[in-house]
Parts: sequence; C-alpha cells; structure tokens
Amino acid sequence: MTRRIAQLSLTVVALVVGVLLIGQLRSQAPAIELSGLSAQELSDLIETLSTGNAQLTDALTEVQQQVAEYDRLAVAGDSTVTLTREDVVRFSAFAGLQAVEGQGIVMEIEAQFQPTSVNDLIHELRSAGAEAIAIDDIRITATSVPVLGTGSIEIDGVSIGNALRVTAVGSPDGLKAALERPGGILSLLAQSIAATFSVETRDHVLVPATERDLTPQVAQPVE
Amino acid sequence: MAAALAVIGFAGAAQWNSSLGREEFITSAQRVLVSRAEQLQRDQELMLGEIAEAETQLQSLQERDTGSRTEIQLLSERLLAARVAAGAEEVRGPGMIVEIADSLRPVPVGESQSNYIVLVDDLRDIVTALWGSGAEAISITGSLTEGAPSARLVSTTSIYGAGVAILVNGVALSPPYRIEAIGPEGIHDRFVTHPAYLARVIERVEAYQLQFAHEARDEVTIQGFVGNTRMQWGAAVEQP
Repeated sequence: MTRRIAQLSLTVVALVVGVLLIGQLRSQAPAIELSGLSAQELSDLIETLSTGNAQLTDALTEVQQQVAEYDRLAVAGDSTVTLTREDVVRFSAFAGLQAVEGQGIVMEIEAQFQPTSVNDLIHELRSAGAEAIAIDDIRITATSVPVLGTGSIEIDGVSIGNALRVTAVGSPDGLKAALERPGGILSLLAQSIAATFSVETRDHVLVPATERDLTPQVAQPVE
Repeated sequence: MAAALAVIGFAGAAQWNSSLGREEFITSAQRVLVSRAEQLQRDQELMLGEIAEAETQLQSLQERDTGSRTEIQLLSERLLAARVAAGAEEVRGPGMIVEIADSLRPVPVGESQSNYIVLVDDLRDIVTALWGSGAEAISITGSLTEGAPSARLVSTTSIYGAGVAILVNGVALSPPYRIEAIGPEGIHDRFVTHPAYLARVIERVEAYQLQFAHEARDEVTIQGFVGNTRMQWGAAVEQP
C-alpha cells in the first residue's frame, strides 16, 4: 500500500515537473524577443508582416491554381508545355533576365551619394513591395550592389552619377508613400546628404532586363 | 523525492520570476500587439510551408509532361536555368560563412543599448560586402521562430529593421545571425579586405565588441527561395 502511494506521488511529481519545465521553456521562447519591442515597433512589424502575408496568400492561391491546371491538362492528356513556358518567363522576370512593365513610380534624385545611401534606397523600395527596380536603366538583381569604383559609385560595373533616375514596378501609391513618409528614407537622405528629389506615380513604367549573365560559376543546383 | 522537489522548486521559481518580469514590462496594449505579431509569424510559416509543397508538386507535374520529349527536355533546362538565376533552386558550392551576434559586454551607464546589438545596417553591409566579393548565392539564418527556414536573398529581398527585430524577406530574425555564401575561389579573402562596407561593421565590432566570426568553407549548401515570385503590379515584357 505504502509503495503504491509512493509510486503515485512520484508520478504526480514527475507530471508537475514536466508541466513546469515546459512552461518555463515556452516562456523563454520568441515572445520574449517580441516583447522587447515598443508599441510603435510592434505596429511597424505587424504592418510589414500583414503586407507580406497578403502577398504570400496571393502567391499560394496562384501556385495552387497552377497545380490544378497542370492536373486538369494531365487528365485530359494535353501537353503542359505552354504552362511550363509561362513559368520560365515568370522566373526570368523575377531574376531580372527579362524586362518588366507595369504600374509603379519614377523618382529623380540628386545628391552627393555614398554607396550605402544608394543601397539603403534599394532596400527601402524592396521593403515597400517593389517587384522590379532599375537605377539609370541598370536592372537591380539580387547580386547588384552599389560599390565605390574608381572615382565614382558603380552598380554592376556601370558608373552612376550624382543625379539618379530610379524606376520601380509596384503599387504606385504604396511605393510613393513609403519613400516620402516622415522619417523615411528620402527625409533621411535630405538631412544626411542634402538630397533633392521628386517622386511620380505612373500607370506605366518599364524596367529593363539586366545585361549581365546571371549563370553562377560555382553554385550548382542540388539534385 | 528530494531531488524532484528541488527541480519543481527551481522550475516553479523560474517560471514565476519570468512571468513577473514580463508583467513588469509589457503593457496590455503591447501584449495584444505581441500576440498579433506572433499569430502573423505563425501564419507566415504555415503559408511558406504550403507554397514550398505546392512548388514541389508543380515541379514534379512539369517533369511528367506527355508532349514532345525534345521540347520538354529543352524547356526543362531553360526552367532550371531561370530558377537558378532567380534563387529558387537549392545550390551547393565552395564559399564562406559569417556569424554576428550582440555584444556580451554590459552596456555602460549613459550609453545607448543599440550600440551593443546587431543592427540592420550591419547585416546589410555584410551582405553587400559578400555580393561585392563575388557571392553567387547568400542566405541568412537567425529566426525568432524555432525551425524557420533560412532566408535566401533574391531580387526582391529587403533587409529591414523593426526595432531590435530584423526582417529578411519579411521574416523576423533575431541574433545570432549566420550568413552563408557560395562564391568563387578567394571570396573569403576578398570579403575580409572589402573596402567600404566591411569597414563600418569592423568599426562597430571593435568599438562595442559585437561577436563576429567568419571563415572559408569548401562546401556550403543554400536552400532555394520560398515565397512570392509572381508579380502583382507588373508583367514580363514579351521577347521577340
């Protein structure tokens, strides 16, 4: 009898230990990181995550529709070559190998640029949802970075001057608002490097394809 | 039994203390926001998983086509090349890794705490120095959420700061950050001597003792990008 009570007690103790340890582990998890953010920072994070999730929802719907279309064609015994061709175009445009046209903005900006300020501008546009960007007709791909060349800033080996024309495909109002918001990138550039600028929304902009070969030399696809 | 009770005591006290800590610093409004952000992160993870699954399904359907073998073979090669250029394929090759984390040094009185943590500019500078050193593929790991995939850097990637959180491809990451890069021989040497971008990071590493390490690797594997590759506001211009 005494032994059974001891066993039962140990079981209860083990259970309580387990529950407490799990509680402790969970309380150390991501929430602590997020709780370190201020209300304003959390609001910004929520806005960014919400925008990203809305885009992911659209992407998921589209890829699911594409799968359904492939299935339908396969059942009917039809070729799916046209769909695959569309996919080649999609990835080529995304990579920067193909020109892109659509709605967006054109920004004229003049300043004594540093490579970092041009880089910040690119990141700001991307974070505002730009789908394709060109600076002075140089298509910005994943690997395009402004660096200090011999006497001037270069992107993909092409020199850029102090007056830039930036073209971006994306939500015209969203891009303009993100660039021009108080405390945003343009007001920072105006303060730090005396940038002067104008941003226009457009129903049609054209972002050219990159002139670079994006085929990697050493990075090989994993089978 | 005594040992078990001691563990209960420790766990209970720790649980109680951490709860007290949070109560102290989080207002109810913040708690609502934290909970909303956590929910959005969970949704994001779920959708990224579903997109990855659907893309895999799509690739297998593309390989099963019943049309002309030659045309399909050519098309498959073009698709693979486009996917590789876009960063959508997992790739492997020689390269290097970089790790950076917040300083372990106590913040001196009167100094800003933000000097002692990894900032969005540090990550941007490291990544830019890597691209500038010839990197062909880069990923960043360091998620707030356990088990989240690495963020592969692609044409639409922004590295963006929201307070202490850094968002890469819209995913909130936290330190320590691990940046992996694949690139041609000598990438590590070129990175170390990269003039502009790395100089800013090194200055902060030395001044505030941020934890920073890097080394060349014979082989690095970098996952393919999972996310939105479809354009909502634009379309590819038809090529003749």
